[in-house]
Amino acid sequence: MSVIEVANLTKYYGKARGIVDVSFTEEEGEIFGFIGPNGAGKSTTIRLLLSLIHPTSGSARVFGKDVVAHGPEIRRDIGYLPSEVYYYEGMRVSDLLKYSASFYDHDCTQRIRELSETMELEMHRRISDLSYGNKKKVGIVQGLLHSPKLLFLDEPTAGLDPLMQRRFFDLIREENARGVTVFFSSHILGEVQRLCTRVGIIREGRIVEISDIRTLQQNNYKKVRVTAEGLNAAAFELPGVTNLQAENGSVHFFFKGDINAVLQRMAGTRVSDVTIEEPTLEEIFMHYYE
Amino acid sequence: MNIFIHELKSNLKSLLIWGVIVVVLIVMAVSKFSAFAGDPELLGMLDSMPPGLLEALNMRAFNLTTLSGFYGVMFIYFGLMGAIAAAMWGSGIISKEERDKTVEFSLVLPVTRGRVVTAKALAALVNCGAFVLITWAGSLVAVRSYNPDQAFYSFLALEMQAMLAIELIFLALGLLLGCAMKQYKLSGSIAVGIILVTYFVSIASVMQENLDFLKYFTPFRYFDAGELFRNGRMDGTYLLLSAAIIVVCVVGAYMAYGRRDLYI
Amino acid sequence: MSSNIYRHEFRARLGSVLIWSLGLAFLIVFFFSLFPVFADQAALMNEFLARYPQQLRAAFGLDNMDLASVLGFYSFILLFAELCLAIQAGNYGFGLVSIEEAELTADFLLSKPVSRTRVLTSKLLAALTSLAVTDLVVWVSTLAAIFLFREGREFDRPTLLLLLVSLVIFQLFFLSVGLVISLLVRRVRSVTPYSLGLGFGAYALSAFSGVFGEVALELITPFKHLDPAYIVRHAAYDTPLVLLNVAVTLVSLAVSYWLYVRRDIPAVS
Repeated sequence: MSVIEVANLTKYYGKARGIVDVSFTEEEGEIFGFIGPNGAGKSTTIRLLLSLIHPTSGSARVFGKDVVAHGPEIRRDIGYLPSEVYYYEGMRVSDLLKYSASFYDHDCTQRIRELSETMELEMHRRISDLSYGNKKKVGIVQGLLHSPKLLFLDEPTAGLDPLMQRRFFDLIREENARGVTVFFSSHILGEVQRLCTRVGIIREGRIVEISDIRTLQQNNYKKVRVTAEGLNAAAFELPGVTNLQAENGSVHFFFKGDINAVLQRMAGTRVSDVTIEEPTLEEIFMHYYE
Repeated sequence: MNIFIHELKSNLKSLLIWGVIVVVLIVMAVSKFSAFAGDPELLGMLDSMPPGLLEALNMRAFNLTTLSGFYGVMFIYFGLMGAIAAAMWGSGIISKEERDKTVEFSLVLPVTRGRVVTAKALAALVNCGAFVLITWAGSLVAVRSYNPDQAFYSFLALEMQAMLAIELIFLALGLLLGCAMKQYKLSGSIAVGIILVTYFVSIASVMQENLDFLKYFTPFRYFDAGELFRNGRMDGTYLLLSAAIIVVCVVGAYMAYGRRDLYI
Repeated sequence: MSSNIYRHEFRARLGSVLIWSLGLAFLIVFFFSLFPVFADQAALMNEFLARYPQQLRAAFGLDNMDLASVLGFYSFILLFAELCLAIQAGNYGFGLVSIEEAELTADFLLSKPVSRTRVLTSKLLAALTSLAVTDLVVWVSTLAAIFLFREGREFDRPTLLLLLVSLVIFQLFFLSVGLVISLLVRRVRSVTPYSLGLGFGAYALSAFSGVFGEVALELITPFKHLDPAYIVRHAAYDTPLVLLNVAVTLVSLAVSYWLYVRRDIPAVS
């Protein structure tokens, strides 16, 4: 049984499209990255899975249960970190966490203590006095304190300083090591690349691509940069080369195909430096954006 | 200038809703006048009533059989509506920036806070004026079938001025609350509290003679319909009092908003 | 219902309940303290008024009301108290779910393992408890005021009981109607104009219907459904109107549940 099974999920807000015909699955223990431009439908998808909004058509199952019919049950084991965090202004951090814990059947005090220490929370301050980043930290603890089996992260690190970002990712990796499944929506492709095993790309409400990261990178082009004296860009005009640019004595381009052709071209030149890399997720992504 | 126009536009719906409500009330009220019009028996009975009773019920100058008398009795409710609308517009127009979290847009524009308050206050003022005009027009239309005389028209004009005055007082109060309160949510609640209290005080002040002094504390009695009818003009003392309240509130509003820390 | 939500909601309203309760206590005791003086004058007035046509008495708002009697005078004051109670209940009703959405804490609450039904029930019960506390204060103040100022005049105890209980029914109406309207409107950015509009609107309508005896108006406004003057005069409720009132309340609640379960909670951004 997959942890998440989405089949032809569609949501229209009146006439405006939210998502159209979205299907994917996520298995237990995976870290699934969900990426796409603004307004693509990432938040809509997550909100549908949390039963905050209702689908126009299609179905979604989490832990094998339908999200509309069994929402409350499912949510017992779900943790949610929204992109923008709002809490009851008058409450203190400790009270909010206790209130959050009171919804779950088991005792969370130990977990609260551990997590608050890791994220360096000030337990006695009022929510209204916290900065955005600090509220985000409270959000992280709030989403994790009941030891959920599935985590929904929506732009989780926006607003955190680099140190906290690293702590956060360590936390996520720890959770994942213990078997927690993670569904992760983000713009920061660097972190998606570091953390996720599989990636889904959504654009204008439709899924464009779902595959694991390795495959995505491998099936794409390679970035090549060659530095040599008196280098002529035309030397590398081969089939499979795109985006050929020359500057300051080096040439760089994208290449898809048999890399030997490039190596042979280079063998004929006295090369002082060469770099052959896989594209970052960002570069792949921009390709899909355009 | 653009803030002014923007605010006018965004408050238009509210103005229309209040306008419709008040016109409906006027039409309903006036349409029932026929039950009282010119009934000689009623006239006779009113004359024979003990003055104490008439006084206590604020009916002394009033003759329900005339249109003016009738309208005067109903006026308190229109005045009340105007007061509520004005207070809501006054406090809301300021606190909505914090409530809708647009503070970081509107108040970082290259204008002083004073100008922002002025633009908003003027927009709310226009709304109040428009509301008075709507009430006036609605009343004129509603009474047409009774062929009122010049005396009524003058009286109506006076009542409308009174309504404007009441609105201005509560508008100023609303503005002050919106500008001064750190917790913007409280400004609406306090406005409600003040309206309720002044309304009840206005009632208490007529119920007993030794409570009559309370009339200085409630704007609803500054422009008592009975007095207006009798004297044909608004009382100077009360006008001065109203002006004083308005000036104090407005000045306070500007000062408070200039100094206040704005958070979202 | 979820006791944690219930407790949280109740605590959040505690300050408000305190203010309304104190205000109402003061209102009732203060106005009733005027009773002795008024009663003497009024006795005389009633003599005259008895001779006059019903319309005239209605114009003074004295139709159906005997200001010289304890309960008659109390029912006069009760109208003002009811105005406050209407606004308070309206505040709670309009704000019950809309405030969460306006302040965007709805995401937090609704992503917890509770069904919408339980959330709404917990909130309603908490609001009801808050209102009940206020009503209790009103009851106590009423008894205190009456016993302090009645100066030996007698009154009918069962009728007083009817009056006091009617307040609960009265507030339930505004709570439910406020709630259902807030769910029908797309966005409630500020609760105050709505609750003031509903409260004062119903109040003004009842004043007009009193003057004009327009039956249609009576049907719309709870001030007439549970008209204190009527209750005092007949020592009973106006059953058809009360049933209408309760029916509207129940329908509003049912519709509210239906709407809330189906509601889309839009994203923060």
